[in-house]
This record gives sequence, structure tokens and C-alpha cells, in this order.
Amino acid sequence: MSRPGAFFVLSCVLAVGSAEAHVASNGFLDVEVQGRDLSGSLELAVRDVELAVGVDADRDGKLTWRELRASEPRLAGYVLQHLSLRAQDQNCEIHFGSLQVNQRVDGNYAWLPFTARCPWALRVLQIRYALMDGIDPSHRGLLRLTAGTHVQSAVLGATDALSTLAVDRSSPWRTAAQYFHAGTQHIWSGIDHLLFLLSLLLPAVLLRRAGRWVPVADGRPAFCSILKVVTAFTIAHSITLSLAAFNVVHLPSRLTESVIAGSIVVAALNNIFPVVTETRARIAFVFGLLHGFGFASVLADMGLPSGARLISLVAFNCGIEAGQLAVVLGVMPVAYALRRLSVYQRALLPWGSAAIALLALVWFVQRAFLPA
Amino acid sequence: MPEPSAQAASRTHRGRLACLILLGIRGMAAVHANPYVPARDDEVLAHLPPGAAHTSLPIRQQAGARLDVALPLAQFYISQARATGDLRFLGYAEAVLMRWRGQTPPNPDVLVLHATILQSRHSFDAAVGELNEALRARPDDAQAWLTRATVLRVLGRYDEAGASCVRLAPADVILAQLCTQSLRALDGHLKSAYTAVRQLPLQSLSNAARAWRYSELGEMAQSLGDDSAAAHWFLEALQLAPDDAYTRAAYADLLLGEGRAAETLKLLDGRESMEPMLLRIALAQQRLNDPGLTQSRQMLASAFAVEEQRGEAVHRREQARFLLDVAKLASAALSAAQDDWRVQREPADLLILLRAAQAAHQPDAAAPALQFVREHGTEDVRFAPYLGRSQ
Repeated sequence: MSRPGAFFVLSCVLAVGSAEAHVASNGFLDVEVQGRDLSGSLELAVRDVELAVGVDADRDGKLTWRELRASEPRLAGYVLQHLSLRAQDQNCEIHFGSLQVNQRVDGNYAWLPFTARCPWALRVLQIRYALMDGIDPSHRGLLRLTAGTHVQSAVLGATDALSTLAVDRSSPWRTAAQYFHAGTQHIWSGIDHLLFLLSLLLPAVLLRRAGRWVPVADGRPAFCSILKVVTAFTIAHSITLSLAAFNVVHLPSRLTESVIAGSIVVAALNNIFPVVTETRARIAFVFGLLHGFGFASVLADMGLPSGARLISLVAFNCGIEAGQLAVVLGVMPVAYALRRLSVYQRALLPWGSAAIALLALVWFVQRAFLPA
Repeated sequence: MPEPSAQAASRTHRGRLACLILLGIRGMAAVHANPYVPARDDEVLAHLPPGAAHTSLPIRQQAGARLDVALPLAQFYISQARATGDLRFLGYAEAVLMRWRGQTPPNPDVLVLHATILQSRHSFDAAVGELNEALRARPDDAQAWLTRATVLRVLGRYDEAGASCVRLAPADVILAQLCTQSLRALDGHLKSAYTAVRQLPLQSLSNAARAWRYSELGEMAQSLGDDSAAAHWFLEALQLAPDDAYTRAAYADLLLGEGRAAETLKLLDGRESMEPMLLRIALAQQRLNDPGLTQSRQMLASAFAVEEQRGEAVHRREQARFLLDVAKLASAALSAAQDDWRVQREPADLLILLRAAQAAHQPDAAAPALQFVREHGTEDVRFAPYLGRSQ
């Protein structure tokens, strides 16, 4: 490939005439990212626009500029329905400029400029591309994504799935940071995981002796107990999170969400009517497997950026662990300090657990039996 | 992580894409959009071919509910695609069949039509899979056996193709012989196959089957080096089936080989929108120093670039030939020819690989082709100059 001279000779003359070559149906999506703003254009062949929204009003088989312009509002509506751009799982609002025409090798295209504002700066751009869905399954969107000096391309629409593109490919660490942040966010906002963990940890500063709670003598057994529970939970949910993230295993979300709620009920009731006392780590492990699927559903919404899948998954998981650890470090020293008070043993633990169990029971009923 | 060889392949692919984009750069290329507002309201932006208007949507929807509508409609779209080279029609056919695929038990008619779509897109392995499934459901489906034989032949799997030809016999013994003999012509028995096909009785054959017979005879005569006989057979075939793009392209190649460039242009006039035809037009224009060459060249480069961007190069053989003979980029041509050879093994694929390897001074690259020729005893006068030197 070393004859640059030839290119200049070949490219000097303007193409004229109306000849067209046949290629399969393509849409051209050009997106430029700047912070939280997107700008670009979408091109659909005039022929494809005809099938999508109907252009040929007089049905003479000729599509004129007048007819195309008249279809502009319908086209914009159609595009909004079949194309969405998202920044880290939040929709960016698309606004169209005015329609123009672009000539390509297989005929004229409707050229639709747009701008879009996303809720936050883009690290990961997700695109759902379903244009020509049901009309021409071989239609593809050819994406050209520009972020600063970095340009990448992708083929969209081959499957129903969301295409996920790391906008800042030059730095996988920034992507990882984004996923780490999402992980911490999730453990904070996903209160059900925390309540499950707390239900298992609250009794860690106590021992069950002859049907009664007694405080541990010093920090050592409490620390060991906490460590075991947290470790078991972490290992378990990491396993299933990874399996689900790489599409090895998939469970319906209704099932996992219900069982997660159920797991909280079980863990909380176990504090009021203790059955398992010394081996709570086992509960943490078994139910932790299901909580992992819960985390995975969040990750599935976000998508894993191609090219940085593993690192993003690890970062997300670390974010969860970090959030979880922060809670443990915040709550457990207090519990440890209060362990000798009867209010902790007789009120806080049982009534707190009862409140948690009741709340989780409501979730369970909602998730398992009410329509989604 | 992709394997090293896949990485290398993707590198050469990207290099080739860059070449194509540059070659087509002013020609409505894939790189820069030059949007404009048409000056006149009544400027015509597109002409709709029959079956591509939105008024066809109701019948398409009906096809979702009724198989007796879906099958002929899909067939119509496929024939439109074949006659005009307009690949969008394959997509329309696929959409019509979509609802009927994945049924249990699978409908063999749907599977065969879908296999035909896959074949037209050069997804040959997938096509064989669909055909096998169709034949499990209906073991005496002659159309499925014939399509299967055709696809396996393109893949160079002559033994399996031959076994499929035999299964045609209960439905049509003459057709089965034509199928078998055409394979023998590729498998080291060119002369006797040529004689056998010439002696096949014509009476029972449909027009389409007759056209096929003439086309095969034309190719065999060409391989034997008898160009005047080949021209005769190709013309007979085209008279019966003027829309047969394959035969028309083969005849165009014959004319080009004899230096009859002006006749080539006449033969292909009005078919510029089909890339294989446009390639031959460009080759003829080149021979004649025709100023139209610039536009043909840019259009081909742009069309190939779009195909490469999609990652499914239906016309890779043509792309290789374009890069070799029109763009004169031997190493890019060789990489396209190698990619092509990975997918299909017709004589024309063999020839372009041999030629590109020689032009790029990489005789080793032709090794798989030479191996194939040795294995099958392929005879073709067009291969001779390359076989001697490379061996």
C-alpha cells in the first residue's frame, strides 16, 4: 500500500451524473461528543425513508424534494422512536435541525442534523439503533463517533441489543473510574443489598449462648465474624455478577429481585428467632449469589464498553465492595460500642430486624406478585 | 483478545478500506457528506423500483399473517434482487420471512427461500445449514437439493455437491445429470463433461434449465480455450434468460479477454448499478480510454468501501479485481483475493488469487489455490500461465 501518488490522480475529478450503484441498506450516523453535548447527523436513503414513513404522496414512483420535505415531521418522529442515544444509562434528548439532501453512491440520502444534550458528561455512549426494523432486517447503521481527536466506527443494528461504546478509549482508567463510581452509587441507592448485609452483621458483635444474646468479650471474634460474612457475600456476588455480565447465565429479573427481598426477610428473622448463629457466612454466601444477579441487572442497563469489558466489570465490582465497606466501617464500630447495652440486645437488634423483615416482606410481595 | 491472525486480517482489512475510501473520495464517498438543499421543489431525489414503495407495506403486513402471501412475495423480492442486483430486496424478502422462521416444525419452503437469501449474500455456510434443515423436514425437496448442490459447488466441496445432484434424479433425471456433469467439469473431467452436457436431451427442460445448460457449456468451452464456442453458448443462454447476471458477467469477461471492449460496453449498457457489471464496464472503459472511467472507478471504490464498512463484502471477488486491474494496487488486491478465497472457491476466485499473488510478487500467497488445483485436477487454459511459473 505505498502508492500515494495514485490517490491524487484518481481523486481530482468531480463525480457527476445520476448513476447509482446498488449496496445494501445503510444508515450513516455521525456523532461528535463534547462533554455532555452530542452533535452530528443521521442519513437515511430517501428510498428507505419512503418505506419507513411514506414519502411518495402522489404515488408516481418519483420521490421529490417537496415530498421529502413534507415528510420531515414524520421522519423526525420515526427517528426518535427508533434511535436513542444514552450517556451511562440516561437518555440524551435529541433535537433535529432542518433536513437536507446528501448524494451517496447508491442514491440520495435524507440528511438530518441533530444536537443532543445528555444528563452528564459522556464516558460511555450507548446507542439503540432500530431504524428500518421490521422493514429491512439487513439495514445497518454505520457509526462514526468522534471524541476529540479520537475517531471510531461501528456497525449498528445487527441485533436488538444496545451498542455500547467507550467514548474515551485513550484512557480505559477513566472508563473504569466511571464504572467504579456506578458501583458505589448502586450499593448506596440499592438499599436492599445493604439491609441484607446489615441483618447478617448486626448480631456479629454478640454471641448466642443458651438461648440468649451475650456481647463478645473483645473485638477479635466480632471482627472475624464480620470478615467472614462480608467475604462470603463478596465472593458469592462477584461470581454471579461476572457470569451474568458475560452472558453465561441469565435469570429473569422478577425472580432474582423477589428472592433478594426474600433473602432479607430470612436474614432479619434469623436475628429474632435465631436458627443459624455461628455460620451466618453461609447465608451470606448462598444469598449473595442471587444479589450478584441483582447487581448484574444494573450493569446490563449500563452495558460494558467494548474493548474495556473486563476492566469495567472489575471496577464496577470494586465500587460495590467499596460502598459496602464504607457502610460496614460506619455501622459496625457503633454496634460494637453499643453491644453491652441491653437496648442493643433487646430492642435495637430484634425490633430493628423486625422492621427490616417487614419492609423486605412488602418488597417481596410487590416484586413477586404485583404486575411489574 | 482476537487471535494474532485475526488481528492481522483486520489490519489488512482496514488498510484496504482506507484505500477504497481514498479512491472514491470525491465520488460521494463514505467520508465526507456534502449536504445541500435542492434548488427546486420538484427535483426528483429517487425513483422507486416496483415493490419498494410504502404502498407495499399492507401486503408485507399481510405476509406476516398468511404464509401463502409470504412465500410468493419473498420469491418476488428475491427475483427482483437477482434481476437488478438491488440488495435491498434481499432485506425485504428477509423481513417477509422473518415471522415464519423459527417455527416448529420448520417450514421447508421458508428455509429454502431463506437459504437463497443467505446464498445471495455469500453466507454460504449458513445457507447450507438452512438447506440441511429443510431437507430433514422434506427429504425429497428437489429445489433444496439443487440449491444445496450450487452452494457446495461455490464452496469447492465437490463431493458433497455431487451427492446433492444425485438426489435430484427422482424429480428430474436430466437436471440431475446437468448438475453432476457441471461438477465433473470442475473436478478433472472437463472434456468428457462438455461432451456429456452437449448431448443432454433438451425436450424435457424448462427455459430456465436450458439457460443454465447453455451457461455451463459456455463456461466449459471457455475453460477449454474455445472462445468462439463459449460466446455462442453464452449468447444462447442470455437469449433465454437476459436477467442472468452471472452469465452476462461471464460473457463480458470473454469479450474483454478478446479485446472487444466496445462490445462489452454495449452488452452491459443500462446495468451500471450492479457492481459486477460496473466493474466490467470500468475495465472496458480503461481499454478504450473512455472518460467515463473516472466516474465508474469512484463509484466502485465507494460502493466497495461501504461494503467493507458493513463488514460483509458480497462483491469481494470484484473488489479484488478492481484493486488489481483498475486501481493497480496489487498488494491490496491480493489481500482482497485472499479474503475472497476464504469464502468461495469458484474458478474466477482461483484466477484472481493466482493473478494477484503474481502481481504482488508473493507466490506463496497462491499456495492454497495451487493446492486446490492439484487436489481437483482443475483444468482451465486461463490458469496455465500462473501454474507453470508458480510451481
